[in-house]
Amino acid sequence: MNRTAENEKPIKISTILIYVFFCFMMVLYLAPLFWIGMTSLKTRAEIYKSPFGWPEAFQWGNYAVAWKAGKLGIAMLNSLFVCVVTLILTMIIGSMAAFAIARLKWKLSGAAMIYIMIGMMIPVHCVLIPLFVRFAGIGLNNNLWGLILPYLTFSLPTCVFIMSGFFRSIPNELLESACMDGCTIYQIFFRICFPLARTGLFVTGLMTFIGNWNELLLALVFVSDDMKKTLPVALTKFVTPYQTNYDKMFPAIMIAIIPTIVVYCLFSNQIVDGLTTGAVKG
Amino acid sequence: MDKLLRDKKAIILFVAPALILFTVVLFIPIGTSFYYALCDYDKTTRSYSFIGFGNFIKLAKDPTMRIALKNSLFFLVFSCVSQLIMGLLLAALLTNITKGRNVFKNVIYLPCVLSSAALGLLWAFLFHAKVGINNLLANFGIQGPAWLYSTSGFITLPMWVIAFVSLWQYVGQSMMLYMAQISGINKSLYEASYIDGASKVKAFRYITLPLVKPMIGTAMSLNAIGSLKFFDLIYSMLGDKTENLKMDVLATYLYRTGFSSKGGNHYGKASAIGVILVVLCLLATGIINKLFKTENYEM
Amino acid sequence: MKRKVMSVMLSVSMAAGLLASVPMTAGAEEVQEITWMFWDDLEASEDNITKGFKEVIDRFNEDYDGVYHVTPITTTLEEYYTQLNALVDADETPDVFIVSPGPNLTDYVAPGVAAPLDEYLEEDGWKDTFSSDAVFAQQTYDGQIYAVPLNIAAACVFYNKEIFEEAGVEVPETYDELLEVCAAIKDAGYTPITISAGTAWCLSMLAGYLCDREGVDLDAINSGEESWVNDKTIAAGEKLLELSQYFQETAAGDSNDDATAALYFEEAAILIQGSWAIGQMNGANPDFEEKCGVFQFPAIEGGNDPNRVIAKSDSLAMSSSTESPEACIALMKYFTDDEAQRYTAEVGGKIPVTNVEYDVSVAPAQLADVMDIFSNATGTFGFYNESLVSSDAGAEFDNEMVAIFQQEKTPEEAFQAVEDWYVEEGYR
Repeated sequence: MNRTAENEKPIKISTILIYVFFCFMMVLYLAPLFWIGMTSLKTRAEIYKSPFGWPEAFQWGNYAVAWKAGKLGIAMLNSLFVCVVTLILTMIIGSMAAFAIARLKWKLSGAAMIYIMIGMMIPVHCVLIPLFVRFAGIGLNNNLWGLILPYLTFSLPTCVFIMSGFFRSIPNELLESACMDGCTIYQIFFRICFPLARTGLFVTGLMTFIGNWNELLLALVFVSDDMKKTLPVALTKFVTPYQTNYDKMFPAIMIAIIPTIVVYCLFSNQIVDGLTTGAVKG
Repeated sequence: MDKLLRDKKAIILFVAPALILFTVVLFIPIGTSFYYALCDYDKTTRSYSFIGFGNFIKLAKDPTMRIALKNSLFFLVFSCVSQLIMGLLLAALLTNITKGRNVFKNVIYLPCVLSSAALGLLWAFLFHAKVGINNLLANFGIQGPAWLYSTSGFITLPMWVIAFVSLWQYVGQSMMLYMAQISGINKSLYEASYIDGASKVKAFRYITLPLVKPMIGTAMSLNAIGSLKFFDLIYSMLGDKTENLKMDVLATYLYRTGFSSKGGNHYGKASAIGVILVVLCLLATGIINKLFKTENYEM
Repeated sequence: MKRKVMSVMLSVSMAAGLLASVPMTAGAEEVQEITWMFWDDLEASEDNITKGFKEVIDRFNEDYDGVYHVTPITTTLEEYYTQLNALVDADETPDVFIVSPGPNLTDYVAPGVAAPLDEYLEEDGWKDTFSSDAVFAQQTYDGQIYAVPLNIAAACVFYNKEIFEEAGVEVPETYDELLEVCAAIKDAGYTPITISAGTAWCLSMLAGYLCDREGVDLDAINSGEESWVNDKTIAAGEKLLELSQYFQETAAGDSNDDATAALYFEEAAILIQGSWAIGQMNGANPDFEEKCGVFQFPAIEGGNDPNRVIAKSDSLAMSSSTESPEACIALMKYFTDDEAQRYTAEVGGKIPVTNVEYDVSVAPAQLADVMDIFSNATGTFGFYNESLVSSDAGAEFDNEMVAIFQQEKTPEEAFQAVEDWYVEEGYR
């Protein structure tokens, strides 16, 4: 915003200081990630003896061992399944509710909005025990659907909030002309409003997906079967009261975060802006 | 048109799934949770018996609960204050440069999208008693402090370490929120102030800050709820060591009371902790909203 | 219209139900399917005992292909009992599950979750293969056996012979000698004792030994005849505090793993640990095997019998609601057959529960010493935290021992706190 001012003047000391500061921040943010990469290629003895040195020989085998031992392939599939299903259901159920609240005319729409918004202020911890007890009773523990249900519920408030904003911004004329053409209310929603709110859906989708992809507590409590564990839980298994397998842990961390980093690098601008939009509206 | 929008059948069809889910998965369990909080759960017979406020009285006398409460409140205050200062600082500085702004912004935001469980393991290793940073310091003949296991002081060193790690991870979020708000400020305001001879610092104080104020409320409520829920990082960094190191927060204490093999399965007591957590969340957001009365802002 | 909504909801939930069943294993035809629950990950674990269990499971499934099939359910040790309880609540008790003897087993015996096993043990001489009837002592309730032990681990003192030589000290036989040894090792520039207080049960094990050597009568305390606050417990607490000056500096935060590593990387001279650590030590640093000696926890003069050993066994219990007891028993027998028991000794470093012959030269060097100590023992006792009135009481004991070590409480205050806990929870 000060572009004109900056271009006219020679480079100021304050600007240099800002750049120095941000270079320092870059080191603070990137060095740890780079360092996990290095460490993941060392033998266990090396990790203990020279944690910051260059690996004597690249132990690519660590990755294979960690992948197999941590059952990371299955964990990743589980995470993917849970997150994708939650994502789709959230978008459909959430935007349906948002549409009804934002555009349809009924007395209780305000109350319904408040009802759903309360969910934003309630941490998942306080329903953990009743849900666990109830789910154990009906066979939903140790079942990925037992994760999807609460994930879905806790993703809905943000989705409804963001989407209702988008639906409100759709001009009335558009709906009226659709109505003239004889569209039903369902067609108006699915053919006109839903596609128009693409940006909103993208933002909601991102928030939902990332939030659930990283979720640990519910996944930890609800799933004990190895074949159904999600990625964050699979990671914590490398540290147990009896042993810490650093030579497997670091490759596992890498395997867990690389996909996220790759996707982030590809779409960083959209993701950062999208998530911010989401948070602002939420 | 109006008739279409008042179609009762459509309305019910649209909102019912969300409302049913909310009721079944959220509100009924919350009710149950409040009920469990007033009950004693017997592990062997697996039954609940009503004991009134027994769990809360027990918690009031429980030294671990006091520690957990203290630590959680510390996290709350620390995260609100530090995120406000660092977030605003980063945002203000970033809006002052053009080259590389995107790179800096994206890198600082990166940890926000990564798994806390993974990053926690990384930091736990770096702050390990011997092998991490302390190994580096030892090369220079310095004996590193007990980053993650010192138990002295009102707020212990490990608490500060973990608080800073969480600041590192999540400051990008606050930064982005403030940046969005700052870039929405009309540039002519600044230009006018510079013509009047105001310095950049002054412009920040008298233009940026007041106009960012509504966003402070939003960002702070997010931080407040986030810090009260704080679990992933501390669990992956300390695992089952939280109790002996006096490092419990409400979420870890709830988890252990409810689910750990060591002293777990006290569903009644754990529910009581959950109830306290909800009350704190509602209180914190209420107070913050009072402090920073948010006007409506549209993007 | 409500009906329509309901029908939509119903069909959605039915679709969900269908989807949910997809990831589950396909239905069995004639194969008897059973489940086995265990507290470590069969694939990821580096623990030799776990690896051995995996072999047993694989062998069982292969041999009984088409007849029986067992599916393991694994969790972490930390959440094991919670997850097990959840399954019990859901009427999905695993057919066979591992459990520690003591209050944990009682939790399943008392409500009838675990089935008595005597009739199966008496059948075809299974019981006779065990080394003695004494191995069932902790698993017996009212004369009936409710769990089958798989191995025995004894807690001993492991030490680095080279460091002892360098410091010019001999194996200590009494507590006072132990203090002298520690002082000499400290002067020689090594850490005398490596221990984990971060993982509380490790410290608690040392406290348990000190209490027993002092002659603390645990049964009397548990039953309420005696208070936790007495001369003997306080003397034990003071000795714990006295020894703590010789711990490594990072003891408070070190995990069990870190503490063990300090011994096998030859930074520290003494580790008090269960014999399960043998496999881990030899695996991580093969050079250490011949440098590692074992001795019995020293005596306290004027105290209790110094030949008592802390022993711990992993045991298997069978669900009383299982539909295929034959399959369960067949599986249990695989855990106690010669091949599994030989593995227990030769690779796992634990003491077998049967009279199996095993190759001493293959077994870890330390095991012979452990066996010596164990066979000369006049009696065994369990981990203190697993021998109290409940598992919560054990957790309380652990925490108070850590409080003594961290000098937050004096021994009197700490044991008073345990006593208060007993009073509050209604055990007095």
